[in-house]
Amino acid sequence: MNKLKSGLGSVGQFFADFGHAVADGDIFVKLSLLWFGAGYLGRKQYIKSIIMTLYEAAIIVYTVLVGIPYISDFGTLGTVQQESVFNPVTMKNEFNDYDNSFTILLFSVITLIIWAFALYTWMYNVKNVYRLQKEAERGRHINNFREDLNDYINQKFYVTLLALPIVGVVLFIVVPLFVMIFVAFTNYDQNHMPPSALFDWVGIKNFVSLFGGGGLTDTFGYAFVRVLGWTLVWSFFATLTTYFGGILMSLLINGKTTRGKAVWRVLFMITIAVPQFVSLLLVRNFFADNGIMNTILANIGLTGFLQDIGVISNNYIPFLTAPGWAHVMIILINIWIGVPYQMLIANGVLMNIPSEQLESASIDGANSWQTFRNITMPYVFSVTGPALVTDFVKNINNFNVIYLLTSNFYTTTNQAMANSQAKETDLLVTWLFTLTQDYYNYKMAATIGIIIFIICALFTLIVFNRVVARTGQGDFAS
Amino acid sequence: MIKRKTVRVILKHLFLALLVLIWLVPIIWLVVTSFSAYNGRNTSTFFPTEWSITQYVKLLTGADTVANFPAWFMNTLVVAIANCVVSSIFVLMVAYAFACMDFRGSKGLQNLSVIVNLFPGVLSMIAVYFVLKALGLTNSHLGLILVYSGGSGLGYLIAKGFFGTVPKALQEAAKLDGASEARCFFQVVLPMSRPIIVYTIINSFLVPWMDFVYAKMILNAGVSSQWTVAIGLYNMLDKSLINSYFGQFCAGGVLVSIPISILYIIMQKFYVEGVTGGAVKG
Repeated sequence: MNKLKSGLGSVGQFFADFGHAVADGDIFVKLSLLWFGAGYLGRKQYIKSIIMTLYEAAIIVYTVLVGIPYISDFGTLGTVQQESVFNPVTMKNEFNDYDNSFTILLFSVITLIIWAFALYTWMYNVKNVYRLQKEAERGRHINNFREDLNDYINQKFYVTLLALPIVGVVLFIVVPLFVMIFVAFTNYDQNHMPPSALFDWVGIKNFVSLFGGGGLTDTFGYAFVRVLGWTLVWSFFATLTTYFGGILMSLLINGKTTRGKAVWRVLFMITIAVPQFVSLLLVRNFFADNGIMNTILANIGLTGFLQDIGVISNNYIPFLTAPGWAHVMIILINIWIGVPYQMLIANGVLMNIPSEQLESASIDGANSWQTFRNITMPYVFSVTGPALVTDFVKNINNFNVIYLLTSNFYTTTNQAMANSQAKETDLLVTWLFTLTQDYYNYKMAATIGIIIFIICALFTLIVFNRVVARTGQGDFAS
Repeated sequence: MIKRKTVRVILKHLFLALLVLIWLVPIIWLVVTSFSAYNGRNTSTFFPTEWSITQYVKLLTGADTVANFPAWFMNTLVVAIANCVVSSIFVLMVAYAFACMDFRGSKGLQNLSVIVNLFPGVLSMIAVYFVLKALGLTNSHLGLILVYSGGSGLGYLIAKGFFGTVPKALQEAAKLDGASEARCFFQVVLPMSRPIIVYTIINSFLVPWMDFVYAKMILNAGVSSQWTVAIGLYNMLDKSLINSYFGQFCAGGVLVSIPISILYIIMQKFYVEGVTGGAVKG
């Protein structure tokens, strides 16, 4: 909360400084409200003045030529449907001057971001020019262009460092995210695919449908509850089993009496070092209905026994093809994939346990269980506790394990699930992927994406505030 | 008393051996199946009935419309190297800015990056796909490189943690001697951060080898010579293909896993060095 306040405070300060600069600035400062380069011209910083003028011109040209035309269509997302018209001049069928809803949406978002940035630079520029005015009044040295450039490898080196990565993140993550957030409020799906068709705003209809209010024929609500339930169950078990499994495995390997620690470690690491698309695809064939595992189990008679007592109805065990079985198997296979990884992390942590504590415990006559319970676990917990939260969020979005184990392999027999293109084993994120890749249902995919974000954000906020802040490790970014 | 202890130690090693066996069974199956003469999935015995290296020969020399492993390997290598260069530079730059420089908005930007990371990556990729399509970059390796490296600046946390442990006194001493911030970055902090640099480089090099989702989204035209290893091998297990290509899948799996595993194990060594080294210093 304090962070939020101080954040708002510095934003408020920014605006206050701006107002101050406008009120107290001289003619050059006031002129730079209209002309970005004016203030620098007044301080004889000619090159900077030219650069800022060009920058302003670029923004104006973009706004007039691209920004305004697209933004003005933002409210309707286009009105002119694509049509093929015979052109008597060229004797060919030609498309009319149609609107593309997606392009309109995309360029509207880009324009809004450019405008926001332009607004920021406009205010920053005025403040900066006012600062120059002050310095000139006090008779201080005003930087020439070379000195200004030099700043970018000194005090302002962070600007140089961050500029390209931030542009990358904005272009490849932020802009697309905003576009998809908007798509959640449209009817962009298979029947409304640009360029041949337009899509339009539909308000919160997709959210209503996802929460079960879509009418009798709409099964998205039905599927959503089940997929969400499995997502949470999966994340819970996947996180806890691998976390404790990793710690136990690490203790086992790093015990005083264990020989060949490095060898054991590498042997377990092979599992995670093999790319998941190889190991998981292999494992799913290992456990296939007519796979090797079923053959072995049938040969030793286990399959027959299970069939006799009525646990399974076919002459194979549907490890990854029936609900229930598949859910358990997925969590077990994830232990196989995840425990060595957690073991590596636990190794690093266990190495750093203060050895004085362990020694004094053994002097006091504590047995190994007592040492584990009262010294090792609290220490490991205090260091890796926050990681549990991030692991849980990662598992909510754990695409690979679920998709590689079940896609084209597990077929749902539940008609209501199938109607909304979901499976019992789907996580929200694999459902989202299937909806876009196989069914072009972008509106529902985007809606699900927003829900995933809300779940992850809520969870992170609650846990970090309650648990982590108390143990003093609450710094989000460290 | 001593005897009981010895028994316990032996039992512990036996238990570890059992665990290793469980953990390695699928990997062993991968290796032995890759040496099978039979093309499809061997469902009756664990070990192949007839041993042969024909799967490797077919995979490496007999490129057809389904399997084109040499091309996939080269494609992935090119994408991996390009991504490695761009991503490593981005990550190290961002990490230094956040760890070693004090500026207004630093905290705000870091909190924003945490928020952005909470959105599922697949979601933004849907829109990126359309943008790349408009630019004619889908089904091209450039498009895939952009997707991998574009947002890579967000993965700065581990490197930042390490940079934070490089003693501030050294940096200040360098600056007192007249070094610029940039020189401090290149000649003070970077030379002291070898473990985390190696970790970052290997990590970003491995991304295209391990990734499946983004490759499948971007390279979806079905021209097998353009694929990366991941989608190529995935496609071999299609229901209609698995009975003639499962052996080759295993051979490909082995071939791609060997270099990746070695790199991965090296990377882990540097990771532990970086993270624990940091903990000691800090």
